[in-house]
Amino acid sequence: MAGSGARWVRLVAASAAGMLLVAGCSGNSGGGSESGGAVTLKIAYWGDFGLDELKGRYEAANPNVKISLNTGEYNAQHEDLQKKLIAGDGAPDIAAIDEGFVVQFRGQADKFVNLLDSGAGQYESKYLSWKWKQTLTPDGKAQIGLGTDVGGLAMCYRTDLFQAAGLPTERDRVSALWPTWDQFISTGETYTRATGKKFIDSGTNIFNPVLGQQSVGFYDQGDALQMNGGPKVAFDTAAKAIRADISANLPAFQPEWNAAFAKGSFAVLACPAWMQGHIKNSAPDTAGKWDVAAIPGGGGNWGGSFLTIPKQSKHADEAYKLLEWLIQPEQQIEIFNKVGNLPSQPALYQDPAIRDFTNPFFNNAPVGQIFSKTAEGLTPQYLGRKNGPTRVAVENVLNRMQNGDLKGKPLNQAWTEATKEAQKAATS
Amino acid sequence: MSVTRADPAAPPGGPAGRPTGRDEPDRHRWRNRLHRFDMRFTPYLLVAPFFLLFLVFGLFPIIFNGVVALRHWRLDDATLTGWAGLANFEKLLTDDDFWNALYNTFGIFVLSTVPQLTLALVIASVLNRRLRAQTWFRVGVLLPYVTPITASTLVFAVVFARDGGVANWVLSVLHLTGDEPIDWRSAKWSSWFVLATMVNWKWIGYNALLYLAAMQSIPRDIYEAAAVDGAGVWRQLWRITVPMIRPVVIFTVVLSTIGGLQLFTEPMLLEQNAQAARGGANGEWQTIAQLIYKVGWKDLNLGYAAAMSWALFLIIVVVAAVNALITNRLGGGKR
Repeated sequence: MAGSGARWVRLVAASAAGMLLVAGCSGNSGGGSESGGAVTLKIAYWGDFGLDELKGRYEAANPNVKISLNTGEYNAQHEDLQKKLIAGDGAPDIAAIDEGFVVQFRGQADKFVNLLDSGAGQYESKYLSWKWKQTLTPDGKAQIGLGTDVGGLAMCYRTDLFQAAGLPTERDRVSALWPTWDQFISTGETYTRATGKKFIDSGTNIFNPVLGQQSVGFYDQGDALQMNGGPKVAFDTAAKAIRADISANLPAFQPEWNAAFAKGSFAVLACPAWMQGHIKNSAPDTAGKWDVAAIPGGGGNWGGSFLTIPKQSKHADEAYKLLEWLIQPEQQIEIFNKVGNLPSQPALYQDPAIRDFTNPFFNNAPVGQIFSKTAEGLTPQYLGRKNGPTRVAVENVLNRMQNGDLKGKPLNQAWTEATKEAQKAATS
Repeated sequence: MSVTRADPAAPPGGPAGRPTGRDEPDRHRWRNRLHRFDMRFTPYLLVAPFFLLFLVFGLFPIIFNGVVALRHWRLDDATLTGWAGLANFEKLLTDDDFWNALYNTFGIFVLSTVPQLTLALVIASVLNRRLRAQTWFRVGVLLPYVTPITASTLVFAVVFARDGGVANWVLSVLHLTGDEPIDWRSAKWSSWFVLATMVNWKWIGYNALLYLAAMQSIPRDIYEAAAVDGAGVWRQLWRITVPMIRPVVIFTVVLSTIGGLQLFTEPMLLEQNAQAARGGANGEWQTIAQLIYKVGWKDLNLGYAAAMSWALFLIIVVVAAVNALITNRLGGGKR
């Protein structure tokens, strides 16, 4: 009689307990490695940080450490990190953060290991001072990351395609073609007229470097959206390039864009140091056909990353050791030589291994000198908390000018649209 | 339940049964009790796993989702929390993105469901006739359904590529396009067409087999009688077949309404950078499900995303009910 009721209760209780058990197990599985002696450190980043070979070297020297590399899409990795910080579980032991997102994460410094406590203060003098400050909380008490690379700007171009168009191919003469962006665009028109092919990959890759050259970006220091300063200049320049019909209209960082490197669908590309690795990975067969010239309008920064240790890491000490090892000159130089990411420690620019480095993939261009020169002369702009999404929103409007509903419409209509979308992103 | 169980005093054998052997009535009673227990409670035990899982993974999330919809909840700002009341729903009413997504969803839904079910009906009635290699054809129409949706979508995305896509190549061979290839992703009509094609390709065969199964139960002599009366193939299809398989038609309409309004994988993967979840540079083909994903997991605004999914839930209920009603009428139903 009462037995059946009790049985029901027991049944329900048992299944509930089973579910809790399952949930409990999955929650704990992250920390199971202590017992076996070997520690697994997870590193999350995007693109190519040049870690593949370094990983093996570090593991060989530290038999108790295994490194697990997790590379993904740029925006996705940052969004993922944000989710896991709030969820309180699942973040990697070392998370890379790009400068476009760094303000957002610096605002949550309590969720990261304060590297000053681990003794990272000794490296302050080694870094470009603005790079050090980008991850330092405004009160100066917590340092959440150590800089890896900076993205000083240059212009990569295809010598073979330039030759076919009757343009000069030697890098100084190419640089002389375009002291200003207007001259750059008219060079593009010459190229397109001569070959019938497009000159640049996409309007967005004019927008980003021009924006990087302005003193004020999307946001002022108070995190208020400022569209009429730098963004307006950059937008107009990009729009002009699109209207000159020299753009191959390939939205950047997407499969068709990647494929176009190999097909030679465009002849020039704005090149922060880290772009070298991307070109090499996308079109290994074009080795020797590329070269590096100066960018119109002078220095500017586009990109550059940091390595951080989320507090959730169960092996924070081991993670710090690895992080410290990665930023040592030897490793930084190796990464530069391999994938082109320029270190953010200026002393290294005097090191012969960087100063005299010429990249055979880029027709032996003295990339060490080119990029360190632009990096030293930089005053980076402030990037607000919502910089990442805002940039994507404006890039979308440029893409619509290239091949969507805004194609051929008056410029002020496109600009109104860009302002509207940026505002939406700022308040989303 | 325990009340009825508390009443086992009179086993069918009855106390007036055989006086010999003390354990026999005992065993009898025990077996009886077991039998009754089996009859009464085993069905509940057998359906229990589903309902337990439904409670945990179905009902609880729906209710919890409703609670979240009434709160501020942001993943990038843990301090912004607390009750929002109806603020999230009010925001919904003035959100361009939401109305754009709703418009897209319905556009793609109409473009896919109507041809899909019509064609499925026609194919089913063809397969219902005597054909050579009947089984081969029947299995054939189901093949698209077996293909993983991600795989087929990625293939379609390549077919409809702007540069070097097969679709543009075919159009140019037929001299149907101008100088420039069609950029399928840049306008509403073309991207909707692409998505509807994917959906239709996958589900026509599936629906056709459902219809076919229902058609098999229609007696042949009805058709013969109709033929004698001079009804052609089309008239037979609309006047005999459709009314006689009406329950299945309603079922497929409701099913494709739910599926169509929740469209997610196809629009997501049509974008070259699937992660963007934007549905084109101007949200040309952003569906509601995709927008919910974007608001929740890219803008990290969970409260607002929850409000959107509740709105979608209500919309689906209404549309499915209306559709079922219309289909019922069209099929000649009286209720």
